[in-house]
Amino acid sequence: MRKLFLIIATVLSIISVIFSVLPLGTLALAPIGMALLFIFLAFKKSDAVQRKFTKILFIVTYICALVILGKTFLIKDKVAVDTKFEQQKVESKKEDLKDLEGL
Amino acid sequence: MKKTLFSLALILIFCSFKTDINNGIPSGENLIFVGSFNMSGLMTQLAQVTLSTEMVKTSKNSYLHLNCELATYAKWDKFFKIRDSYESYVDPNTLKPSLYKRSIDEGGWTKKEKYAFKGNSVTSTSKRKNTPEETRTFNVGSSSLDVVSLMYKLRTMDIAKMKTGESKSFVAVFDEKQIPVSIKLLGTETVSAGNLGSKNCYKLSIGAKTDVLKGKDKNLIYLTADIKKVPVLMKFSIPVGTGQLTLISATGI
Repeated sequence: MRKLFLIIATVLSIISVIFSVLPLGTLALAPIGMALLFIFLAFKKSDAVQRKFTKILFIVTYICALVILGKTFLIKDKVAVDTKFEQQKVESKKEDLKDLEGL
Repeated sequence: MKKTLFSLALILIFCSFKTDINNGIPSGENLIFVGSFNMSGLMTQLAQVTLSTEMVKTSKNSYLHLNCELATYAKWDKFFKIRDSYESYVDPNTLKPSLYKRSIDEGGWTKKEKYAFKGNSVTSTSKRKNTPEETRTFNVGSSSLDVVSLMYKLRTMDIAKMKTGESKSFVAVFDEKQIPVSIKLLGTETVSAGNLGSKNCYKLSIGAKTDVLKGKDKNLIYLTADIKKVPVLMKFSIPVGTGQLTLISATGI
């Protein structure tokens, strides 16, 4: 059982790291929460000498949670300035006015 | 004295006409929403949606330009960039559309549509990526609206006189088809409205005979229960999932 918990915890921790790097926002909290749960279960099933790896997984997942919360509360979402899109809008408006003249 | 009073009365009459223009939809209004999509049970902020209005003039007429723009946040652009715009040029008094445009750019897939309304006839031109432009002409009812003008038309309804559960019907032109749309008042709710603070809002359910919208009373729009009827929250259920638009900033209202 300890091995199973450890494998699930490891997989979920890896997913947590990937989700934290990608711009998935609070969606990353789902694997992080599950990873923490399985890390806890693996930790409980481990003897004192076997707990080093679960501690490492806990630190990694904990850092992921901090990164996600930091990104959520400290970084403001912004729309990039898209000059091509802005140019298209200007040209489109000129075309619209021509069309409206013809109506 | 009589002449002065008469002049004053005339000015007041003209002023009252001016306030009626646009049916309460002001030119220069700018509403910014955060578009979120439900991903694995969590609402994830994906895009910014901007609704703006502007008066434009041609040599013959004045039009109110209603613009709805959707742009993904910079962090998503590398993965799936969206730049959509829905525009409508309408009569400032009746909100009857003259020209409707839809430009979609979703992850490189593009589609452009243009509907020119002339009386009860609509000439549509549409072009998808790597396909030739198609032109069609079809007839619509005199009260048919496009989806953008419909959204603004809702704001001109006298909702205060509606009873909870009461519905109103409209016809929208979308994808070169006329779609019956019903708007049902579900009641009032207090909703956070960005820089406007918490507002008591009308909760309206949008129903349409189309595959684009899913579920009963799952497509909702919350309009402030005041004369401005500003949309502050829109919840939608579409085939690929659910999401919502939350107002964060309202200016020029």
